[in-house]
Formats: sequence, C-alpha cells, structure tokens
Amino acid sequence: MFWRMITKTLIRQRGKMLMIAFTVVLGVSLSTAMMNVMLGVGDKVNRELKVYGANITVRHKDAALMSDLYGLEGQGVSDKFLREDDVLKLKSIFWGFNILDFAPMLDGRAGLNGSEVSVVGTWPEKHTTLPTGEELHTGLKALRTWWEISGEWLSENDDESVMMGHLLASQNNLHVGDKITLTAGTQSAAFTVKGIYNDGGSSDSKILMTLPAAQKLLGLPGRVSTIEVSALTTPDNDLARKAAQDPHSLSPDEYETWYCTAYVSAICHQIQEVIEDGVAKPVRQVAESEGTILNKTTLLMVLITVLSSIGSALAISNLITASVIERSQELGLLKALGAHNWQIVLLVLAEVMITGIAGGIAGYFMGIGFAQVIGQTVFGSYIEIARMVILIVAVILFLVTLAGSVPAIRYLTALKPTEVLHGK
Amino acid sequence: MASNRHGSRRRMYVRMVAGSLIRRASRLIIAVLAIAIGATILSGLVTIYYDIPEQLGREFRSYGANLIVLPRGEAKITRETLGRLRELVGASKVVGMAPYRYQTVKINEQPYIIAGTDLHEAELNSPFWYVEGSWGDSADVSSVMVGHEIAQTLGLKLGDSFMVQGVKYGQHAEASRQDLSAEENQKRDMARQNFHATLAVRGIVSTGGAEEGFIFADADMLDGLIGDTFRADVIECSIVADAGELSDLSARIEHEIPELMPRAVRRLTQSQDIVLGKLQALVLLVTAVVLIITMISVYTTMTAMVAERRREIALKKALGAENRLVMGELLGEGVMLGLIGGALGVFLGFEFALRVSLNVFGRGINFQPALIPLTIATFIIITVAASIIPVRRVMDIHPAIVLKGE
Repeated sequence: MFWRMITKTLIRQRGKMLMIAFTVVLGVSLSTAMMNVMLGVGDKVNRELKVYGANITVRHKDAALMSDLYGLEGQGVSDKFLREDDVLKLKSIFWGFNILDFAPMLDGRAGLNGSEVSVVGTWPEKHTTLPTGEELHTGLKALRTWWEISGEWLSENDDESVMMGHLLASQNNLHVGDKITLTAGTQSAAFTVKGIYNDGGSSDSKILMTLPAAQKLLGLPGRVSTIEVSALTTPDNDLARKAAQDPHSLSPDEYETWYCTAYVSAICHQIQEVIEDGVAKPVRQVAESEGTILNKTTLLMVLITVLSSIGSALAISNLITASVIERSQELGLLKALGAHNWQIVLLVLAEVMITGIAGGIAGYFMGIGFAQVIGQTVFGSYIEIARMVILIVAVILFLVTLAGSVPAIRYLTALKPTEVLHGK
Repeated sequence: MASNRHGSRRRMYVRMVAGSLIRRASRLIIAVLAIAIGATILSGLVTIYYDIPEQLGREFRSYGANLIVLPRGEAKITRETLGRLRELVGASKVVGMAPYRYQTVKINEQPYIIAGTDLHEAELNSPFWYVEGSWGDSADVSSVMVGHEIAQTLGLKLGDSFMVQGVKYGQHAEASRQDLSAEENQKRDMARQNFHATLAVRGIVSTGGAEEGFIFADADMLDGLIGDTFRADVIECSIVADAGELSDLSARIEHEIPELMPRAVRRLTQSQDIVLGKLQALVLLVTAVVLIITMISVYTTMTAMVAERRREIALKKALGAENRLVMGELLGEGVMLGLIGGALGVFLGFEFALRVSLNVFGRGINFQPALIPLTIATFIIITVAASIIPVRRVMDIHPAIVLKGE
C-alpha cells in the first residue's frame, strides 16, 4: 500500500516531482563540478606555474656561487663539474615522476671577434628513452617559455649552430644566419647564428649552443656545470622548513613523511642522492612564490565551492519546503482518513528522497561534464575525477533533503484536517 | 448561549484569516529566501571576479621585482630621481621600490660586495628570501645581513662581527709597497682615503640565487662609510601591473625621466600574464556556471510556487477578472519579490565577497555600486518571468476546465 501510494504520487505529481528533481540535478551538478575543480585546481595551477622556469638548480658542491658575482666563470675559477652521465638519473628518484623538465648547462668563456663572451652549452631539446622504457622529452626550451625568439630555436643535434642574446647580437651587429667563429684556448670552431633571443635578464649577453658543441669547444668532454630542474612540488609547511635546515633533526616518522611528500627540500635531497658531488638547491624565488600562489588559488576555489554548495543546498531545501506545503490539502485528507503523523512524514520523506536520489545521480554526471568543460577550456586538460566527491555530495544531499523537509514536516504534524480541507 | 456561539464564530473567522495569512507569509518568505540566495551568489561572485586580477596580481608580486630601472650612461641615480620615479609610478601600484648601491669591500683581504639598500623596501620586494635571524632596519645600521654563501665561506654565525675595509668614494687605493712592513701597510689602509668598520651579522640570507653572495646593509650607513651622498646603481621595483601596463609605464618613465632606463623582467611579466590569464578564465567560467545554475534554480522555485495558483487565477477569471488585471497583479508581485530579495542579496553578497577576500588575500574588496541595479533588475526579470510564463497557459484556457480538473 505504502509503495503504491508513493508510486502513485510520483506519477500523478510528476510535474512537481520533476521540478524538485531538476533543482536537485542543478544543485548536485554544481557542487560536483566545483568540488572536482577545487580538488584538481592545485595540480593544474602548479603545472601552469612551471612557465616561471626551474625551481631547483644542481651544481657541484665545491663550485661556489661567488664566480657568478665577479663574472670569473670558466676554467681556473670553478673547475669542479658534474658528470653528464648523471643527468638522466634525475628521473630515477622517488619523485622522478614529478620532475617535469630539466636541462644541464655547461658555462664557459670563449673569444668572439677579439673580446671574451660567455658561452653556455645545454640540451635545447632532448628526446630519449630511459632504461625504464619511459620516453623522455625535455630540454631548455621548456624552461624558457618567456623567451622572445627571432629566427629559430636550436634543435637537438644542431652542433654547428648557436643562439645569441639580443644585447650581444646588437653589440656585435650580428643577425640570424650570420657566421661566427668562437675560440677557447687552442680550440676554435665556426657556428651559424640560428636564433636571437630576448630574455630580459642576464642571459641577453650570452651565446647558447648544444652541450656536445660546448664540451668540444671548452675541452670538457662529459662535463656539465649546473642542472636546471623544474619539478612539481607541494607548498612548504613547518615540517618541510625544519627538514630543509637539517634532515637529520627529524624523527624517523617525520623523516618518512617528509621523504614521501613532494616538498622541494625532499626532492632536492633525493637529487643529491643520485648526482655525484651535486648540491641541489631550491630557487626560492620560484619555489616559494609557487607555494603562495597555489595556496591562495586553492583557498579561493574552496570558498567559492562552499558558497555555491550552500547556495544550491538552500535552493533545494527551499523548493522541497514549498512543494510539500502546497500539498497540504491532499495530506490533510490522508490525516482525516485516519493516517498517523509518522505515516505521513514517512510518505513525504520517501517521496522526496527517491526524487532526490534520481536527481542526484543525474546531477553527478552532469557535474562531471561541467568540470571537464572547465578543465578543457581553462587548462586544456582533463580534470581528474575524485571519488570522494560522490560521498561528500551524497551526504550533503541527504542532509539537505532532510533539512528541507523539516519545516514541512513540522507544518504537517500541526495540520488540522478540518481546517485544511475546509479552508482554501 | 447565543453570544457564546456568536463569539466562537468570530474566533473561527479570525483564525481562518490569520491561518491563510500565515500560510501565505510562509510562502512569501520562501520566495524571498530563494531570490536572496540567488542574488547573494550573483553579487558575491561578480564582486570577486572583478577584484581577482588586482588581488591575484598582488600575490604574483611574491616573485619579486618585475621592473629594473638602470641609470642611463655612467651617471648614478640620486635620491631626487628616485622620488620622481616613485611619484610617476603612483603609490598605489608600488609594492616595493628598493635602490641598490654596490660597493666592493675587503674582508680578510678578500673582495666582497656590499649592497646598500633600503632594507624595508627590499623586504617588500623579495618576500621569497629566507632570512635566518632578522631583516635589518634603519634603527640599528651597524648590523647587516649576509648571504648564505658568504656566511659559509667566512664561517659567520648570527651575532658574529666582522671587519670590512675599502676605499672611500673618489679616492684611489694604493698598492701595498714591498718595502713597508705588513703593519705599516695596514696603517696606510686605515688612513684617510680608506674606511673600515666593524659590522655585526643579524641575518643570513638564503635564496638559492646570486643574492647569497652579497652583504646587505642600510644604504645611508654605507654612504656614510664611503663618504658619499646617495647614488644608486639600480632600482628594483615590484609593481602591480601586467606586461602591457609595464611597457606603457616604461615608456612613460623613459619619456619623463630621461636619465633612467627601465627594463621589464620578461621572465616574470610574461609568465604572470600567462598564469593570471588562466586563473581569470577559471574564475570567469566558474562564475558563469554557478550563475546559470543558480538562476535556473531560482526560476524553478518560483515557477513551482506560482503553479499552484492556477486554480486561484481561474477562479478570479470565472468571477469576471480581465486577463490584464490578473497579469498586472502577478507582475506587481514579481517586481516586489525581486526587489526585496535582490536588495537583500546584494548586501549579503558583498559581505560574502569581503569575507572571502579577507580570508584569501588579507585585503578588503571594492564594492561595485553598479551591482545594486544589476542584481535587482536580474532577479525582477527572473521572478516576473517565472510568475507569468506558467500562468500564461491558464489564461488561454476556459476557467471551467481548470476549476473542474484536478
């Protein structure tokens, strides 16, 4: 009898029930979309922030930063180098998957038209297969997204060409396509200027060439001076700061938590384990600021999500209240026919819950659709679907339907059949 | 007895009227609530959306200086020029503006570089520096910050002192002469054309960059030491602006203060434009989705509430009411509900946006006055549409059919 009544109501009142279901669909899809976006936004924004370039640099432990200051780089000053063979080991560390891009750099000085200039050897692009079978595509190009290039980027094996900073090019009146001769010690080699870049920083007076070309020119086979690394990291917290000071000060539990979280200090620590004599340091300008932006964006999305969820919850519960009160006449008749309060309450609740569940399921899938639309439009990639959203949304929906029914139920129990049936 | 029955009838009448009113009032409350929720979300999100570029733009300043101003030619930058620059940029846009003067000094006969700056402005400029100890200030000028690299090389710890020596401004160093003893050479170094001072370490700077090889001191203290007035080699500016605004600003600086040469830091300006653009698009899309869904949900709630009045309207028509009269009544009600709910929502929405801004960015938010008419108008349209569209169908039907059928 009970179920027959419910089925009847659902069919007879399908207009109103559809309305409730529709609002539930809207509300649930909104919450689902927002929660998925909110949970995925950290990762997406983190990847976007990679345009700022490397957030970790690795250099030899005895190569001091001092050499940068006085422009004394090159042989004789910092004659400590890392090994090129070690570079690919970066992908083998615990957080290797988080290392998005990296490029080794070999700094040196060479003569150009009688004056001394800085030359840098690097991987403009690098395509290789790791021992694990993983394909690797990286290189400096990915770490210098802000460069304005006239001409072209160097390609992977273009050992006869160079790129020049625009300041150096204009000083020497060189253009794309010109030929130059560089000398270092007894070595001398001819190159074609393939591209001129504008960095807006100190690189604008340097010459960039492929790593093998630089190693040959400088007579340093198999050597690199620094490695620039761009890694996805988790914003620092107190534990990470403590560990950054001295990893040995942590308790074993803390150490494990720290080691297995993608803190920039943990990644640096792991890089040092695979690069012989290397010291990995976070570039605080990039690493620290990333954390700030990430935290702010996530917090913003959390608050917008909370607002829209509250909004849709109120809207749903409001509509339920409205539609139950409307049916007071019918329910008054039931009461007049001898139905108990609890029976009527159960009837109303069951109707609303069934409608809510149906709407909720439809809304969940619609919400996933919305989330993907946002992900594709803004970040050009899919947003990962978080399973826990189903649970959160289900609990919220249950509470909301219940809360929406409470004023209606209170109204129903106070209902006097005669008044309702007579009045109106 | 008769008066008793009369009294009970009057009580019944009062109760019926009151009951009907209360029932109606609860419906009105529900309607106003639905509209107010929608209006709160609309005005709150739009307010946030308008303030996002400004607010997030300021957050991006944590990447440090985005405009480097160099002197043109050999001249240095004076304090007067710095003042003009600050005025030109406008105080509201400047996050930090720190002049730097670089001076070579000797510590233990080894060359090092002291950067004289306005330490407070430098701190605003570079929030990403990790300083063990504390930032220097102008109150205690003889204690300075040293780079991590220097601290390691010299074995300096917080609170340690070290002696710096150097040549005063405009003087030339004299080479040590071999015929003099070490002591005599040292005395000559201490003589008039040279300076020396003992400085204490109050902070050790780690950045992972070139800053770790500098000593940072108060500019005035350094000027006093080398016997010169303020001359900066470079000014680092952190300015709230995107790449386009910065290049406009650079052009203005070059035009108005020709002795300066501004250079935007491409790495920061370009990257900021990319990331900020994405974030703005994100908030725009989210706002659009939330708004559309909210509007529809307000509309359905209103429709549900009006639909039940079909019988009442049909009755009115049966009693001889004109379509225009009934429509006018509904229209008036819709406008009233939209007005009250919308007005309530505008202020709740601003309150919400303010809370979000304070929580996320730690700053207040600008109220957009245009939102008041916009929000109210939007919701009047929604309520009126929601009231009239479902009832329209009733208008064309014969009242008897509506009244008879369930």
